[in-house]
Amino acid sequence: MQLFSKRKMWHKRPLKDSYDVVIIGAGVHGLSTAYYLAKHGITNVALLDRGYLGGGGSGRTTAILRSNYLTPQGTPFFSESLGIYETLSQELGFNLLFNQMGRLDLGHTESAVFGLRMRTEFNRALGVDSTLVGPEQIKKLAPAIDLRAGKDLPILAAMHHPPSGVIRHDAVVWGLARAVDEGGAEIHTRTEVLGINRSGDQVTGVRTNLGDVRAGVVVNATAGWCSTVAAMVDVLLPITTHPLQAFVTEPLKPFLDVSVSSANLHVYVYQTDRGEVVIGGGVDPYPTYSQGSTLPAAEELAKHALGLFPCLRDVNILRQWTGLCDMTPDYSPIMGEVPGVRGFLVTCGWGTWGFKAAPVAGKRMAELIATGKMPEQIAPFSITRFAEGRLVNERAAAPAGAIH
Amino acid sequence: MAEPDPRQTRLPPHPSQWTDPASPVSFTYNGKQVSALEGDTIGSALYSSGARIFSRSFKYHRPRGLMCMTGDCPNCLMSVDGVPNVRTCNTPVQQGMEVRTQNAWPSVEHDALSVMDKLDRLMPVGFYYKSLIRPRISWDMARPIIRRVAGLGKVGPEKDPDSEHQHHNLHSDVTIVGGGPAGLAAALEAGRGGSRVVLIDEGPVLGGHLLSDVSVHPELEEHAGLPGYQVAARLAQQVQEMSSIRVLSGATAFGLYPGNLLGVSQGKCLYKVRSRGIIVATGCREVPHLFPGNDLPGVYLGEALRRLMHLYGVVPAGRALVVASDHRGYRLAGELAQAGVQVVGIIDARESSPGGDTADSIPVFTDSSIAGASGLKGVKRALVLDKGTGETRSYACESIVITGTYEPNTGLLAQTSTALRYDPELQEIVPEDTPSGIYVAGDVTGLHNLELSLIQGKAAGCQASLGVDRPTGTELDALRRAIREKEQAYREALEPSSPSMAPSKEAGKTFVCLCEDVTPKDLYQAIDEGFDEMQTLKRYSTLSMGPCQGKMCLRPAIELCSRYTGRTMDETGSTTTRPPLRPLTLGTLAGPLHMPVKRTALHERHVQLGAAMADVGPWKRPHSYGPVSEEIAAVRERVGIIDVSTLGKIDVQGADAPALLDKVYTHRFSNLPVGRIRYSLLCSDNGSIIDDGTITRLSERHYFITTTTANVDLMEEWLKWWNAGAGGNVHVNNVTSGYGAINVAGPKARETLSKLTDVDLSPDAFRYMRSAEGEVAGVPCLFLRIGFVGETGWEMHFSAEYSEHMWDALMDAGSEFGIVPFGVEAQRVLRLAKKHIILGQDTDMVSNPLEADLPWVVRLDKDDFIGKHALEAVKERGPRETLVGFVMEEAVVPEDGVPVMHLGQPVGRVTSSRADPTTARGFGLAWVPADLSQEGAQITIQVRGRPSPARVVHQPFYDPEGARLRE
Repeated sequence: MQLFSKRKMWHKRPLKDSYDVVIIGAGVHGLSTAYYLAKHGITNVALLDRGYLGGGGSGRTTAILRSNYLTPQGTPFFSESLGIYETLSQELGFNLLFNQMGRLDLGHTESAVFGLRMRTEFNRALGVDSTLVGPEQIKKLAPAIDLRAGKDLPILAAMHHPPSGVIRHDAVVWGLARAVDEGGAEIHTRTEVLGINRSGDQVTGVRTNLGDVRAGVVVNATAGWCSTVAAMVDVLLPITTHPLQAFVTEPLKPFLDVSVSSANLHVYVYQTDRGEVVIGGGVDPYPTYSQGSTLPAAEELAKHALGLFPCLRDVNILRQWTGLCDMTPDYSPIMGEVPGVRGFLVTCGWGTWGFKAAPVAGKRMAELIATGKMPEQIAPFSITRFAEGRLVNERAAAPAGAIH
Repeated sequence: MAEPDPRQTRLPPHPSQWTDPASPVSFTYNGKQVSALEGDTIGSALYSSGARIFSRSFKYHRPRGLMCMTGDCPNCLMSVDGVPNVRTCNTPVQQGMEVRTQNAWPSVEHDALSVMDKLDRLMPVGFYYKSLIRPRISWDMARPIIRRVAGLGKVGPEKDPDSEHQHHNLHSDVTIVGGGPAGLAAALEAGRGGSRVVLIDEGPVLGGHLLSDVSVHPELEEHAGLPGYQVAARLAQQVQEMSSIRVLSGATAFGLYPGNLLGVSQGKCLYKVRSRGIIVATGCREVPHLFPGNDLPGVYLGEALRRLMHLYGVVPAGRALVVASDHRGYRLAGELAQAGVQVVGIIDARESSPGGDTADSIPVFTDSSIAGASGLKGVKRALVLDKGTGETRSYACESIVITGTYEPNTGLLAQTSTALRYDPELQEIVPEDTPSGIYVAGDVTGLHNLELSLIQGKAAGCQASLGVDRPTGTELDALRRAIREKEQAYREALEPSSPSMAPSKEAGKTFVCLCEDVTPKDLYQAIDEGFDEMQTLKRYSTLSMGPCQGKMCLRPAIELCSRYTGRTMDETGSTTTRPPLRPLTLGTLAGPLHMPVKRTALHERHVQLGAAMADVGPWKRPHSYGPVSEEIAAVRERVGIIDVSTLGKIDVQGADAPALLDKVYTHRFSNLPVGRIRYSLLCSDNGSIIDDGTITRLSERHYFITTTTANVDLMEEWLKWWNAGAGGNVHVNNVTSGYGAINVAGPKARETLSKLTDVDLSPDAFRYMRSAEGEVAGVPCLFLRIGFVGETGWEMHFSAEYSEHMWDALMDAGSEFGIVPFGVEAQRVLRLAKKHIILGQDTDMVSNPLEADLPWVVRLDKDDFIGKHALEAVKERGPRETLVGFVMEEAVVPEDGVPVMHLGQPVGRVTSSRADPTTARGFGLAWVPADLSQEGAQITIQVRGRPSPARVVHQPFYDPEGARLRE
């Protein structure tokens, strides 16, 4: 029985000198891509990560899944991803502890409610379960909430999105890693890519701290660091990396059964199954690769969280942490081949929405690698959209709408 | 629990004690009265009153009792006056406190969920991930139960958001964290020459571990013959007398952030302390040993008993067995014996006993180690392994005292770039190199010697204040030499000690992590499964993720992992230490809950008029004063006034002002005649609209700009940025709050205003989109004749302090014409009827001026402007979607934001929509695909979930020729 199994979930193997596909970054996107590549029969694959397994954004995300986006390009994409997540525990035989608690996006001003209504209406038109609810219903779903939100910003309405949930993010990494390992691909942690080799305009492999590795296809799945990897092939991505901070409290008995997000207050709050309260907000306004936490960010988060939940005033926070977000100008990812560098694929620009999309993104990237054709679901996310002026305006992607 | 005789639990008074037998206090514990002494902590008082089980563990609900007395371990968490998870061991007792145990039912003594302890075989490490997978519903059903079982404290009822929490900023030359011997020495040295010093200490009294040290220190020349607590008192006295030192007692430095910023909490206060130099003198803590039953109530860290006896005068209960590896353990055994505790023996892992320090009557078991503890709700027996013979003997005792294993408190250092490495000689993880401006002293360096600590402190104090008050470092060189010599002697005197723990597979559970009930077995299995570095091991086993955040478990876990995998301690690595180092309440972190709100100078007038206020960004603006339809009618038929003071206002002057505006705006301004106004947009370089507003030329080199309310700060930055880039001679001043602004509009606007001004307002003298300067009711004003709401009107800008006077004068002058104030809702309807857009409502961050149907604002014939290249591309490819007007074919009104549907798919969106008062049909603005944008095109709008037909209209809905504007 699996419960008592001590089987190794993945294996350390020697790094070979050649693979069909090298994926840089062993986070959820890299792992998901490798997982789906195996379904296309492509298993001579190496995932290279300079840190530990899932130690980047995948280990730092607050793991909220949802599909209540805005655009006709983004909404079905995230909706498909959420659908895969719903049965991923069964598919991987690994309990990812998905809690489909639902989500409330609060609006405290008329203009915020306008934005929420637009999203709700578009969601419904695209078959996504969202409704606009009033204060009474909000109080019913989250009894601990202060509808006055600290007196000056009363809550007017909220978008209720029942399929949204929270998943155990590390479990997603481990479950996928186990499946990837079983499928024949190799995971190499503590293996840093130092450069990308090319012959003419064709990628031929990567240089690592453990030596050169040949590969005709190199996938950049390095999220916060994706611009540094793209720079190795002289590609300048329209991406800036910003920090995103969050903190968690001591475990409490259940008091909140829905995740709550407020764009006006730049904060979101939910309670895990362990009882901890997770509090996060929008990305910090300055670009950096530093994953250090800052005091002002914590102060703001605390202030705004107490605006919604004054009952948390005497509750202790245990730890604050920071992840990196590779932000694009239109809050949508960049996926697919980069013109001029054959064999160099990107799946990046995942900002604050990457974890939610990992399964479907990996599925489509694998399809692209296997077939050589850009799947129509991700065609709008091609890097060429910036030159063609076809931005996908996914404002709803921003965490708690902190970026206007 | 029976109330014991206090004379049996309390020691005779002694100067080291903090408790005052003459000041009894009382509080309730689970509803029962408990007596205590002033100076007690809740923990010491409860212990003295006979309580042994303080909590139940998170996972297995095992009984847990006092263990550290320093606030480091999770064993004493209780709810105090409704606040959950309070560390009772170091929280001072107060008269009338209400203390309750938590996470146990019906009580901590008899917890029904302790059955979990028997089910551990069903809950191996990571069991959540491996069970309840199929069918899917099994997890959904189990989850709510797990949710109820998990969690420790309960949140109290809703609290008033107003609180006494405060934030303060402090600045110093040198900040010292830790008021033990090293910190005190550092403070005295740094403060001696006049450096501004802040000393942060967790305890209520300065002195650190010296406070519970009753032994004398002949090695200290200056303090020879004094017991430790008196040395502390002396040093503390000197510190208090030094005026350059500010002491924060009872304060925790919970985070060290970039730029030498320390986050410090003290009760309900948060201090942000910024310093040139920071001395980390945070000392060390004892860590538990690993043996079966090591979590039982009755297993203590040595410091806990020292504190109980010497600070609170409490006699540890029952017979004690002391685990020692150096003289400190022996000394404690002696102190216990002196307090009347029967010491069963001293267990020493070394082959021979050094003797000394202890009473001869205490048996010493050398070459032995603790192999286990047994008992149901507390220690009853201890198992001792004789390493020579391999035999295990059992001893009856109620306390097992663990001494000798220390871990430097390097948490703050770990938040910097300090290198922390395992020193095999010291067998501790110690700081190696600190970044510039950060210094270390005392036990945190892994060297546990009082004399050395004092010299280290002095040296650090000297070094940190170098450059502030002393020119050279010759003195420092001497101190450093002394440190080197003493350190060498210290290291030479170290006796090789065998491993401090013997991971055992015997019966009974051993706990590495007390917060999360993680056992060595769990860790080994996790490592077997592939989680073989601390970062992943932590996440899989939940080791160190509980309330103590690794303080008790990280070191033993690294050691276990290192041994099990055959790697060195450094290779095994650690996890990332994150702030806060000690739990910090959200209230303290948040500080005063002030929500910034902006009000115009006319706010009181609006309130007096009974306006319903709305939040518009940070501003409070009148939504309406009464029925909106009446306000609209007044503007169209008579005259209305609106407070538009929230408009962004920027004054731009300088020789290069025309060039700057030509560069940033899409329209041209170098050719704008003086006295004229032009509407324009600004774009980003990808051609999308950033802002709009009017630009008035006041003189050749002087422009007055209005921006949207929300974007004025951004616009100020934007103008300054581009001016700086061009090196232009332009002054950009944001005058938003300096000027009030009122718009007077309607057929009677001219007559109303004329009563108050000499400016000639006649249609020929003052034409549409012109400006003039003059007085209104004696107030100098800038008149802008514009028409956002579609009627004849003037927007007047004037010094904000005259706002109420202006408002009153206008209301007065207009009263004969039936003037009414109107709010933002009426304004929205009026402007929508004119198809005037509101940025952010009708456009979004990818809308461009050409597709927003404002081509006349874009001068592609200009040499260059920001966004030109992108807009040329848009023009070449043609529009993909367009902002158009629409009128519903039926008497329905779509809500703002609903989709425009085509073939069952959302293809566009309604951005603004209101009802036509006469037809009751909706009209408004919508983005539609280019092929649905021609005049008269039939479109379908989703109204309350149902498709409804509408028609595209290009002309404004009201006064399409703009005749009324120009009248």
